[in-house]
Amino acid sequence: MLSKYYLSQEIFDREQEKIFRKVWLFAGLKTLLPKHNSFITRKICGIPVVIQNFNGAIRAFENVCLHRNALIQGEAVGCRPLACPYHGWVYGEHGEVKAIPHREALYKIDDCEQQQLKLREFPLEAIGNILFISFNDRPFPIEDQFGPGFIESLKSSSSCYDGEVMVTTLHGKFNWKLAYENLRDSNHVSYLHRNSLARSVMFNTPVDSGLAAESLQALANTSKEGMRAEMRRFSYGGAEGTRENPLRVPFQDMVERWGDEGAYYNWLPFPNVHIASGDGCSFTLEHHIPVAPDRTDLEIYWFTTRKRKPYAFSSSNLLAKMHGSCLVVGEDVAIMERVQAALHPYAPAPTQGAYEFMNRLVERWYTDLMETDHEI
Amino acid sequence: MKSRWVVGGGAHLEHAFSAWKQARPEENVIKVEVPQREDYSFDLTVLDRISEAGGSMFVAFDERFGNFKRMELMQAALERGFKLESFISPSAVVAKDVAVGLNVFIGAGVIIGTGSRVDYNCVLQAGAKTGNDVHLKSSCWLDIGVTVGHGAEIGAHGILRIGAIVASRVKIGRYCELGWPRVYEKDIPARTVFDTRYEEPICVYGE
Repeated sequence: MLSKYYLSQEIFDREQEKIFRKVWLFAGLKTLLPKHNSFITRKICGIPVVIQNFNGAIRAFENVCLHRNALIQGEAVGCRPLACPYHGWVYGEHGEVKAIPHREALYKIDDCEQQQLKLREFPLEAIGNILFISFNDRPFPIEDQFGPGFIESLKSSSSCYDGEVMVTTLHGKFNWKLAYENLRDSNHVSYLHRNSLARSVMFNTPVDSGLAAESLQALANTSKEGMRAEMRRFSYGGAEGTRENPLRVPFQDMVERWGDEGAYYNWLPFPNVHIASGDGCSFTLEHHIPVAPDRTDLEIYWFTTRKRKPYAFSSSNLLAKMHGSCLVVGEDVAIMERVQAALHPYAPAPTQGAYEFMNRLVERWYTDLMETDHEI
Repeated sequence: MKSRWVVGGGAHLEHAFSAWKQARPEENVIKVEVPQREDYSFDLTVLDRISEAGGSMFVAFDERFGNFKRMELMQAALERGFKLESFISPSAVVAKDVAVGLNVFIGAGVIIGTGSRVDYNCVLQAGAKTGNDVHLKSSCWLDIGVTVGHGAEIGAHGILRIGAIVASRVKIGRYCELGWPRVYEKDIPARTVFDTRYEEPICVYGE
């Protein structure tokens, strides 16, 4: 894409409005919400969010107390009632204010006024164990964003996610779009990752001449429905690469396997998530969070498939996985930062080949969305 | 002459072997390297060739895989009936009432304050200093020169790397790695890793 799409604050703000506040976004893992009052907190699109389990019902609210704007839940993951620690306001499962200590004596708020107070709730959808949130006032069905085959694949694979989850965040100095472009370009693996990922996994780089030709044509249907249908093509996943020798991991007898032995699985939910499994016994999930035109936070999760029973060194397994993957992710981050560093307002437009048909289709859709009044 | 087998692998095996040899010139100190297969599992046949009746054993393996590999070797030695002893360097200053578990390594110049407890399979490298009433739970690894303040508790399998200082009365949860050279002034939840290759801590949630 032209360099302005990676550099401009005005475009960054526009894409936050026209994409991120309209589509379904990764919100967290349901496996971290196993019981009543379990919660996770996130900042998504700049909005502090709490996602909490209320007797099995999982709901998302703005994590800001209606009294004095304190964060209601402070930890990233925890288990406690939805109650503000500042002055003790307590909220119920629909975000209603259940109790205000000394309400009549100190606040002079009557029953009627209290009933009007309610936390802002956000639509939340679960695909298997993966939670998606929407900040759209009129959210479209999640099936408009992800096709049925993709939903089924996410549902099936995530159903075996384990509840023990390792997480860290890397702070990348690049635009978030470089991440999805990099992930939809398997041709880079044998060059950039020749000493890491490419040693064990072979990726095909298909060329779809029909889609490549289509990407050069104008978008035919630019109605809301048409734009969503086009976006649906950008999310796909399944077995992508193959291992010459199926990987034997030391903990594979401790967990329930998922998928075909020897396959390398990749899922790419558009716009900003990547899930992968290279051994059928563990998964990594990367969430690319736009922070600024040249800043993206990478939240990296690791979890195994469901344990047959608890074992002492399970977190050491996850740490070994994290270190291994951060070698590959580190190579990706370094090259994306190198690309970002070279960008300037007069930088030449990239020369994309036919194999980059998917990135070209995304570019066509994205630039249409950014440069016109079209919406999704 | 009494035999003492120092078994394990890597750099720590070399350190422990030379430490035992210097400290016990009257013993027949033997280094036994335990090979690892491609999947990191130990080939324990070398242990099967040693008769447990002829002496005692010390297991020396570094902190890899959260100290679990050293524990695995220690368990293999115990299962085979070997007697395990701890090593306390003659230059270490260990208060008389300190309780020291099996297979602990206390290196040169280590200081351990009164009322402390060092559980089995811990390694305190040269110059590590722990205050009074400190509890190091099993299989911890304290690198050269680290400091643990009075009354602090280090959870099982904790790794404290060079430059780590744990303030007094702080509790570090199990399976933590304190790899950023800094003062840790607050309690750290179990399974938290501070690794210099990462900008943020690595956290583990759920079970």
